[in-house]
Amino acid sequence: LAIFSRIPRWEKIASVYAVIVLMIYGWTILWFFWKLPSWLYFLTVWEILSALSFSLATNFVESLLVLSALLLACIILPRKWFYDVFVARGCALAISSLGYMMLLANQFQLKMDYPGVWLAWTPAVLAIIVLISVIVSSVPFMRKALEALADRLTVFLFISLPLSVFAVISAAFQLLS
Amino acid sequence: MREINRRDFLKLASMGAGAAAITRFIPGTWLSGQSESVLPNVLIFVFDAMSARNLSLYGYHRHTTPNLERFAERAIVYHQHRSAGNFTSPGTASLLTGMYPWTHRAINQAGLVARRLQDRNIFRLFGREYHRLAYAQNVWADFILGQFKAEIDRILPPHAFSLVDSMIGARLGGSPAVYRAFDEFLFKDGTPPASLVFSLVDRVQTHRRVARTPSKDYYEGLPRVGDYPIFFKLRDVYDGLIETIEALTAPYLAYLHLWSPHDPYKPSNVFIGVFTDHWRPAIKPNHRLGTDIPNGRLIGKRKNYDELIANVDAEFGRLMDELVGKGLLQNTYIVVTSDHGELLERGVEGHITPLLYEPVTQVPLLISTLGQQKRQDVHSPTNSIQLLPSLLHAAGRTVPEWSAGEYLPGMGGEEDYERSTFAVEAKDNRAYSPLKKATVAMYKGTYKLIYYIGYEKEDAFELYDLENDYEELTDLYPARPAVLKSMQAELLEAFETANKMTTL
Repeated sequence: LAIFSRIPRWEKIASVYAVIVLMIYGWTILWFFWKLPSWLYFLTVWEILSALSFSLATNFVESLLVLSALLLACIILPRKWFYDVFVARGCALAISSLGYMMLLANQFQLKMDYPGVWLAWTPAVLAIIVLISVIVSSVPFMRKALEALADRLTVFLFISLPLSVFAVISAAFQLLS
Repeated sequence: MREINRRDFLKLASMGAGAAAITRFIPGTWLSGQSESVLPNVLIFVFDAMSARNLSLYGYHRHTTPNLERFAERAIVYHQHRSAGNFTSPGTASLLTGMYPWTHRAINQAGLVARRLQDRNIFRLFGREYHRLAYAQNVWADFILGQFKAEIDRILPPHAFSLVDSMIGARLGGSPAVYRAFDEFLFKDGTPPASLVFSLVDRVQTHRRVARTPSKDYYEGLPRVGDYPIFFKLRDVYDGLIETIEALTAPYLAYLHLWSPHDPYKPSNVFIGVFTDHWRPAIKPNHRLGTDIPNGRLIGKRKNYDELIANVDAEFGRLMDELVGKGLLQNTYIVVTSDHGELLERGVEGHITPLLYEPVTQVPLLISTLGQQKRQDVHSPTNSIQLLPSLLHAAGRTVPEWSAGEYLPGMGGEEDYERSTFAVEAKDNRAYSPLKKATVAMYKGTYKLIYYIGYEKEDAFELYDLENDYEELTDLYPARPAVLKSMQAELLEAFETANKMTTL
C-alpha cells in the first residue's frame, strides 16, 4: 500500500518517540518524586510501586497517542512538509505542543480554575507552534541540533519501553484480579 | 383431642387473615423489637464535618436542626460525644474499627488503616448473615471502605448520586492503588496533574459538563466534594439514599457517609440567608499552633456553615419522613453521627489543624433503638470508638476482645464519668513509626487535658473544665495540680503504650 511508504523508517520514529517519552514520562516522574515523601508516610513500597505502574501504563498510552498524531500528519501532509524532515519537525512539534500542555497544566490546577484566557488563545498558540516547528526545522543548524538531540535521547527507550511493558502487564493484572 | 371441623377451620382462617391485616396497618415502631428472633437492621448516617457545637439540638444559638430535634424525641442523645480523630481518615477509621487512631494508624491525610489490622472492621464483624452496604461520598472515607471491600456486599462509589463527575478510580474497580494512581496523582486537582495529555482533556471536558448542568437552585455553584471532580445537588443525594435504603434486604448494615456539611459550604438557595441575626460567637484568642484568619471572615464562614447544616437537616428530615411513612425502618437501629467537627474560631477555618478544641472533636451521636418511643439523654463522655462494640452487642453479634471501646450508655453500657476517652491528631507522622509530633486530648469527667507533643521545643499541656468553661477560654494548667497529675500520668502512659505498636 502506498500509505505505508509514507511512514518513516523505524529509526526516525524511535528518535521522535524518545523526545515524546522524555517529556511525558519526565513530567509524571517529576510529580511522582514531589508526591513520594507524602506517600512514604503511609503507603507500603508495594502500594507505591503499584500506583507507579498505573501511571507508567497511562504514560505509555499517552506517548503512543502523541506519536500516532505525528505519524498521521506525516501520512496526510505532502512529503516535503513532513516526511522528509520527520525527525526535526516531529521533535519541534512534540517539544512545543507538550511544553504548552505543561504550561496549561500549571495554570489549570483546579478543574474550576478554567484558564479561559489560555484556552481562548489555543488556536493562536497552535498556529505559533506550527510556525515555530516549520521555522526551526527549516534552519539547517537547528534541524541538525534537533536530530542530534533526538538521536541521543533514544537511549531512554531502552529503559522506558521495558518499564512500560512491565507496567502495562502489572496494571492489567491488578485491574483483572 | 377434639377434631377441627369445617366451621372451626373457617373461624381460624378468618382470625389469621384478620391478624395479618391488622399487623400490616400498625405503625412499624409499635411492632419493632418484638420479634427477637429476627436480626435487627443497622442504618448509620455519618454527616462529614458536622460539629455538635453548631446544632440547635445541643443548644446552639441558631435553630439549625429542627429535624434532628424531631428525630431525637425517639432516640438516645449523647451530649458529650467526641470523635477519636479531627479529620476524615482517623475519624472514619475509628468509627469503623472501634480503635483509636494511634492503633489503627489511619492518621495521615488520605491515609489507610494499618494493613495488619484491616480485618478488624464492622462489616466483617456483622458477618455474612447481614447484607452489608457502604457508601462514602467523601473519597478519603471511600479509600478506607476499599480496604474492607471483601467484607462488604455492595460499595456505592463516591460519585453515585452526583450530577457530574470524572472520577477514574471508582470506574476501574475502586481499589486503593487505582484511586491513588488516577484520582490522587495523574488527574489530581489542587496540584499540576501528573498526566500531561489525558488530564488536560479530562479537565476541559469536566468544566464544560459542569457549565452545561442546570444549577439554578445553587447561586454559588454546585456543591463539590473537596478537590475531587464530583458535583452534586444535596436533594439528589438524599433521593438516591431513599431509593437505596428502600431496596435493601433485611437484615442489613448500611453505612452512609455523606459529604455535607463539609466545606465548601454551599447550601441551596432556599437556605441562603436563613439566619439573618447579627449574632456573634464568643471571641477567642488565636492559638500559636493555629493560623491567623481574620475573625470577620470566620464569622461569615460560620453563617454559611450553619446554613448548610440547616439544609442537611431538612434533607435528613425529608428522608426520615419518607422511610418512616413507608414503614421501612421497622426493626432498625438508626445512628446519626459525624467523623469530626469543624473549627471556625481562634483564627482557624476547617479541621486540618493540630488543635483539638471542642468544635472539632465534639460530634453529634443519636441512636434510635428498636421501638424507642421516648428521648433518652446521656451526659457522660463517650467516644466514637464505642459505637462498633455497642452496635455489635445490640445486634447480638460477637464483640471481639481487641475492641478498645466499652458499650455506650443505653446500648448495653452505663454512664461512667470516670472513664477516660481520647482524641488524637497525628497527621505529620509516619503511619508505621512512633508518634513524634501529635496532639492528644483526654476527657475524664468534666475535665479535658490537651497534650501537644513535638511541635515546640517543650511539650505543652492545656487543661479545661468543660462544665464551667464551655468555650475553653480558661486554661487551668497548672492551677489544678491534683486533677492534672493523675490525668497527665494516665495520658502519657496511654500514649507510650500506643507507640509500641507501630508496624503497618
